[in-house]
Amino acid sequence: MTDASENETMTIKEQLLEYDRRFRETGCYAGITELKYREDDPLRYESLHTKLRSMTISAREMARSISASPGVREVGEMVVALYTPEGDAISLSTGIMVHVHTMSRFIKWMIQNGYEESPGICPGDIFANNDAFIGTVQVPDVMVVVPIFHDDELVGWAGTVAHELEVGGITPGGDVYLAQERFTEGLFVTAEKVGFNDELRRDYLIRLERNLRMPIYWMFDDKAKVAANLELRDQVKELIDDVGLDYYKRATREFIEEGRRAQLSRVKQLMVPGRYRGHTFYGHLTEGKPGILPLSDGNLLYSIPLELEVRGDGQMHLDFDGTGSWGYHSMNCTPAGMDGGLFVTLTQSMNYEGKVNDGAWLATDMNLPSGTWTNPDRHTVATATSWALLLPAFGIFQRLLSRGFVSRGFKEEAFVGQVNSPMVEMGGQSQYGDQFGMALFECSAAGSGALGIKDGIDTGYVGWNPESDMGNMEVWEQGIPMLYLGRSITADSGGPGRHRGGTSFTSTWLVHNTDELTIATSEHSSRVFDNAGMCGGYPAPTAHRHFTVRDSNIQQMVEERKPLPHELGSDPHMSDMERLVEGDKNVIEGPHIDKPLQSGDLFAHSYNGGGGYGDPIERDPLDIARDVENGYVTAEIAERTHAVVLDHDEERDTWRVDEEATVARRKEIRGSRLSKAVPVEDWIESERDRVLERDFVDEVRKMYQDTMGISSRFAEEFREFWRLPEDFAM
Amino acid sequence: MASYNHDTIRDLIDGRLPWQSTRSIMSQYKDDDRFFKYIDILQERVTFNDPILLPIGEHLYIVAKQGEPQGERVVKCGCSYEFGHYTRNWKLKAMINVRDDEEEIAEIYPGRHSYDPDWMEIREFICPGCATLLEVEAAAPGYPIVFDFLPDLETFYRDWLGRELPKESK
Repeated sequence: MTDASENETMTIKEQLLEYDRRFRETGCYAGITELKYREDDPLRYESLHTKLRSMTISAREMARSISASPGVREVGEMVVALYTPEGDAISLSTGIMVHVHTMSRFIKWMIQNGYEESPGICPGDIFANNDAFIGTVQVPDVMVVVPIFHDDELVGWAGTVAHELEVGGITPGGDVYLAQERFTEGLFVTAEKVGFNDELRRDYLIRLERNLRMPIYWMFDDKAKVAANLELRDQVKELIDDVGLDYYKRATREFIEEGRRAQLSRVKQLMVPGRYRGHTFYGHLTEGKPGILPLSDGNLLYSIPLELEVRGDGQMHLDFDGTGSWGYHSMNCTPAGMDGGLFVTLTQSMNYEGKVNDGAWLATDMNLPSGTWTNPDRHTVATATSWALLLPAFGIFQRLLSRGFVSRGFKEEAFVGQVNSPMVEMGGQSQYGDQFGMALFECSAAGSGALGIKDGIDTGYVGWNPESDMGNMEVWEQGIPMLYLGRSITADSGGPGRHRGGTSFTSTWLVHNTDELTIATSEHSSRVFDNAGMCGGYPAPTAHRHFTVRDSNIQQMVEERKPLPHELGSDPHMSDMERLVEGDKNVIEGPHIDKPLQSGDLFAHSYNGGGGYGDPIERDPLDIARDVENGYVTAEIAERTHAVVLDHDEERDTWRVDEEATVARRKEIRGSRLSKAVPVEDWIESERDRVLERDFVDEVRKMYQDTMGISSRFAEEFREFWRLPEDFAM
Repeated sequence: MASYNHDTIRDLIDGRLPWQSTRSIMSQYKDDDRFFKYIDILQERVTFNDPILLPIGEHLYIVAKQGEPQGERVVKCGCSYEFGHYTRNWKLKAMINVRDDEEEIAEIYPGRHSYDPDWMEIREFICPGCATLLEVEAAAPGYPIVFDFLPDLETFYRDWLGRELPKESK
């Protein structure tokens, strides 16, 4: 057995390098080749883990009640975690478990950059970071860590992350969509010592107060984070006194090695070895919008291919080769952010037992090609809305894993995948007359992808925080100068399938009591769908438009007691806002980046549904009747896409399946499918001519130029697939 | 370790098991003997006798052919339609319908739910034998068709399942 206890004469940096060396030599975390404590006394060992996990969870719950932010209080955008002295995750609370390894990178970065010497790591110190190139996902994910000392020895770190609702960027809110370089993303805290003696520095708080539109959120959240960390630290210290320091140090490292082994064995239990492939696309539409800088003034189409190799030993290798370059926009991601995406997926599909820690990270590796949006080769690129590309990318990973689950027989675990959920960011003059900024986090209740055995979750899921909530409208109304006219299920927003994707919702608002409300939405694909279906299921429609009415006659409508637009309505060609209201009406494609709204204006925003699973004409007709009755699916889509014939009892407003007509309709659909379709080989032959002529719109052609330039493998496969000359270039 | 009988697994994969039982199974440790029970259930449902080696999607199976060339590992639809050797992308032998005009798009995604066909197309891969929709791709025009899954059957059977993979004649 290799001894995992530290050499007390080593610095933490030396210790970190030594453990890395032992991992390289033995293939086991920190050189732990035997789970000695687990084998000797499993009850004592598991008891320690359970206590640590419960400490992180209770610290998070406590911090939520301290926070002033509805993002943390209502939606739960927070996580508390415990780390080894070298920064490896031991145990995490529930919440945004994205940050298993992002905070780990932050701690390791400080150690590797000599923080032991300067600025020093001492008892009572508080460090903060929101720089994704050091270790987080995006600027609003502000992490705070404190060292845990036992006597004079650093024995670990307590860390907490919360998503801040306002970060002081070029556009208001947390996810600063209009950021096109680092310099416009907002307030950065780059691995900074922000407190000592267990208190945040006054000058740090003053900096927050003077650089944010709505400092109360970040400031109170930081206090909540410090409180959670101190609570966790003190409880861990007490626990160490109970179990003994040597036992604590060895057992916590065994947890991580056990996590690594468990990940490998779960892959072998649930998957099938081999090569899995998938892709998705994302449209970025900002050309000519206000505030776009010259370098960014063009629309972009991103292709995101992912290859997953599941090896014989259970190791998974993810390869993003073939995706596009970073750009002058806010959607770039760093390797730390990609780690976040990895854990978003793993914690929901494989790492569902209690021991979520850095062991799973050690059992998985990724190729993030340098220069692409997954790994920019310049640290000044903006990453403020990295979820935009990150979440669709790891939605593919979810589907690839699900392919393995279906093959292996665990269809109940197959999940068509997480979706993005476009967020409304805003700021300007609040309803109270002062300045404000806000990320309206109700986006955390989108529709999930379908499962292999059932429909997706309706209005109750988002990839980055599976425990999330949309929050009460009344609570959001306290923080924004808008009144809800309605929140309603968006019919047909889930991808059709035997099991349909979860549907999402649309909110409509009346701007209220303000002269200036700037809205900048984020994380929203345009013109293309950024998700997919599986096994015959269709993607969810996620290329949303925004609806505004300026100078509306809403006041007059209220006075005359006319019907108000509480939703977009079930007519996909004409929204209720267009149909019912008078005023300057606009349907805006792409993100809403426009001149401010004011009292009396209307705004509507739709969130995303998830992809479907299986052939839609295999869907149980009774399920479709229920969908139509409840407003999840329109009668038109029920008949066209699911081939179900329904009779409507107008008096009782109920729907009944006409079974005989449905059988006939489904037979007819099968026949028409074959009469319309062509053999794939013929289609390839005809499409080849189009490729040879480069007959694509600019954005598509540029996407190919970029990806074929950056990836020789993709270029080669592209030429091979279409049988193009070796010198073919787009 | 957990283990479930044939009928329970059948109802589970069909989504017909009561949710309380499904949830309980999802929360338990996984049943290590699932794979061959699953294969038995699927084998009862297909119209061919070739033994299923591995399902690779709904209605799609890699089988060991009983006819000539015997043992050849080919992809078959549940209706018996044969797509060729599993190491080649089965989609290339399917039928395809591409939704790249307004009318075709509106059948599934009408009005404000639509996408821009200059940027994206929906590709439907259909079984020539039974017209089942086997897979849907949403891709930029010109993007090569994806080969979804190439399993490592030898490693899977030999090392993970501890069973011998039926031989394939060369």
